[in-house]
Amino acid sequence: MPPQVGSRRSLIVSLVLTVAIAFGSLAATLSLGWGPKLGLDLAGGLSVVYKPTTHATTADLQEVVTILTNRVDGLGVSGATVNLQGKDVVVSVPGVKNARAVLKVVGDTAQLLFRPVLCEAAVGAKLTAATTLPACAPQYQDTAANLNVNTSTGNPVNIAPDPAFTNLASTPPLKDIKKDTVLLPLLGQPGVRYVLGPSQMTGHSIKKALAQQDQAGAWVVNYTLTSSGSPLWDQVAQRNFHQLLAIELDGVVQSAPLIQPNQASFTSFAGQGQISGSFTQQSAQTLALAMNFGALPVRLQALSTVTVSPTLGHSALVAGLGAGLAGLALVLLYTILYYRALGLVIVLGLAVTASLLWAIISALGHTAFAPSFDLAGVTGLIVSIGITVDSYIVYFERLKDEARAGRSVRSSVDRGFRSAWRTVLAADTVSLLAAVLLYIIAVGDVKGFAFFLGLSTLMDVLITWYFTRPLVILLGRRGSSSTSKLSMAAGLHAGAQSE
Amino acid sequence: MSNETDTFAPVGDKTYGRFGRLYHGLTTVDFVGRRKIWFTVSIVIIVLGIGSLAVRGFNLGIQFKGGSSWEVLAPHTTIAKMTTAVDKAGLTNPGVEKLGSETYQVTADLNTLSAAKQLTITNDVVNAMAKVAGKNVTQVSTSSVGPTWGGQITNKALEALIVFFIAVVAYISIRFEPKMAVAAFVAMVHDLLVTVGVYSIFGFQITPDTVIAILTILGYSLYDTVVVFDRVRDNTQGVLKGGDITYSEMVNLSMNQTLARSINTSLVAILPVLAVLLIGADLLGATTLQNYGLALFVGLMSGAYSSIFIASPLLAWMKEREPRYRELAARVLVRMDRRVLTASSAAVQGAQTSATNLRPARSGGASGTIQARARKQKRR
Repeated sequence: MPPQVGSRRSLIVSLVLTVAIAFGSLAATLSLGWGPKLGLDLAGGLSVVYKPTTHATTADLQEVVTILTNRVDGLGVSGATVNLQGKDVVVSVPGVKNARAVLKVVGDTAQLLFRPVLCEAAVGAKLTAATTLPACAPQYQDTAANLNVNTSTGNPVNIAPDPAFTNLASTPPLKDIKKDTVLLPLLGQPGVRYVLGPSQMTGHSIKKALAQQDQAGAWVVNYTLTSSGSPLWDQVAQRNFHQLLAIELDGVVQSAPLIQPNQASFTSFAGQGQISGSFTQQSAQTLALAMNFGALPVRLQALSTVTVSPTLGHSALVAGLGAGLAGLALVLLYTILYYRALGLVIVLGLAVTASLLWAIISALGHTAFAPSFDLAGVTGLIVSIGITVDSYIVYFERLKDEARAGRSVRSSVDRGFRSAWRTVLAADTVSLLAAVLLYIIAVGDVKGFAFFLGLSTLMDVLITWYFTRPLVILLGRRGSSSTSKLSMAAGLHAGAQSE
Repeated sequence: MSNETDTFAPVGDKTYGRFGRLYHGLTTVDFVGRRKIWFTVSIVIIVLGIGSLAVRGFNLGIQFKGGSSWEVLAPHTTIAKMTTAVDKAGLTNPGVEKLGSETYQVTADLNTLSAAKQLTITNDVVNAMAKVAGKNVTQVSTSSVGPTWGGQITNKALEALIVFFIAVVAYISIRFEPKMAVAAFVAMVHDLLVTVGVYSIFGFQITPDTVIAILTILGYSLYDTVVVFDRVRDNTQGVLKGGDITYSEMVNLSMNQTLARSINTSLVAILPVLAVLLIGADLLGATTLQNYGLALFVGLMSGAYSSIFIASPLLAWMKEREPRYRELAARVLVRMDRRVLTASSAAVQGAQTSATNLRPARSGGASGTIQARARKQKRR
């Protein structure tokens, strides 16, 4: 007996171990209540792919990932991920009920900027785009001298909008550059726009902002600054003392508060401040939220936004599983009809493979790696049914060849396995090659698909060696010593006897 | 081992029916000799596909051309009602389709509008569709894609494809031989062209899922080809030493021997995909599954066809152009008593010489010299 095929003892050990490991691990994951981590298209949820509009370094993108992760985590949904794929940032929040509400928060890929207000502008009936903005006329400028704040009431002198800007269009998002002077609308007040100077501070400096009610019951936004942000803020506030400082978020002025209107001279904020004014609860919360977002180092553009309702996701899951099971049943029916008793080997083999796969996928769902199990993955698995069963077909067809050539069943199973094994290895190498390359190069769903295809191909190699080989060889040896009809496939006997 | 004596095995057609011959690997299809037929069939399909591609192009999904789509499960409505509703919500000329039995999909391109306007319209459409469907707004799935996203996916897929091709050709060249790599490569390109052509002819929508599916098909087609080539290599290893069978005949023999396996494997691969297509997509209306299912179905059929009818005949044709195999063919001719071996008689011979019993056979029933060459063929 050639050494590679193995002694009876080692064959039995291999067979028993494989079956025990497969069903044992399945039982273990089931009893732990583990299941695969369902992907977006099966569980429902939200997925957005963002791309930086300007050149971004890897460090920038890493920072984007960190900030977005914080935002998503802040929403209190489990299983959300933010990761980099090439230069794209992919946010996926599976299993969330109201995906659109989440999108509003996550999707606001804001750059929070603090810009000085130069002057106010009205909105004309007919707007034309301006390549460069004119300077504000001196009498309309919102300088400390012009505003002349009354420190006891806290009110400035009312300065009219500069008519030079009335018929100019607001700065479009792509031209909204940090170091430029821009013309932007004020949130919630359609008739009001501001001409703003270059940004003096970004949302980086804000540690936390909270919408709260003061003693009088009015809504205010309290904020604290980071340790490095605190001196910067003091510097900016001093420069703009008794002037308006606009808080700009993605091309819209959220608020343009006056700095320390009740004080005669500038005093340090000491790391915290308060924005008050005519806030409603909602507008205060919106501003606080915007300030909390922090500035992303680059502006992001959503390349693709997908929300899947949980019902549609569920129906896709049912469809996928239904199709998979129906396909499996058809395949099993066909193999049993064609190979008779040997078909039962395939049934058992698929049961072992399926148990192992399910256990592995479920267990992976509980690790940090956690490939999400989506429709593409399901398809990968369904396709792998064909590859798995083919290994049996290759072997059984070889068996028939050997039997036809007049060999005993006993020697057929050994020789047949050795030649089938080479074929299975060569063919599975190609499948694995495809899976690995796809996994490395491709993006998005393709990755999940490649992962599950690769996993099941690897499983096929292992099962062929540790399960099919011992089982069929043991059956074959038994078949040669007894004359039981069940010992080997009817078809195989027919093939052998016909010669 | 009583069967090793020189007795003729019963000739297939007397003992078995058509299925029995297939089951026992005794079919006598002349794969190599009729290659012109197989190649013509493929070329016609491919030319039709390319023609359609030139005239009509692809039906690209929104993921490629950019745009927005909305989906909702709505059992009790009609396309007309849905169209009216989304028209009112601000869409001009939207595409409204019914997917499966009760899922409605609306598509439109909003990319020319400003971000704010896009958001408003998207929300309006969600509300309108939810109202028509009688569902909560959270039940409406949305998808919006910028105009550059699809290009990115396509580029990545092309990149993967090229690397895959190179790796595969290298692997087969080393594991088998360069000519097999070329034949397998041609078979893959064949499947790619057929699938793409069929998509254009029938106007099926191309989505990123289709791209995934096509990559799978190529992998599968190759897998199938490798299994067949493994047998061809096995059988042809000693062919030069003998003088009674040519390379082409050996390929034919190998093909007939693996025909049962090829058909079984293809069926086993196609059955689940058919289940995906019919049960998953049509009955339950999962669009992603439909996209996968269609491409896989077309591609697997083409893959099964190409590994049998394209890759192997092509390999035989290329090998027969090598001087040593030409000489072999000439020697075989002489050995065969100057009888011209027609393609079909070669196939008959192939069938009679089963895997391990190689004998020069009678062609067409006429008597020839019977030489015992039982079990000379090398098997590792």
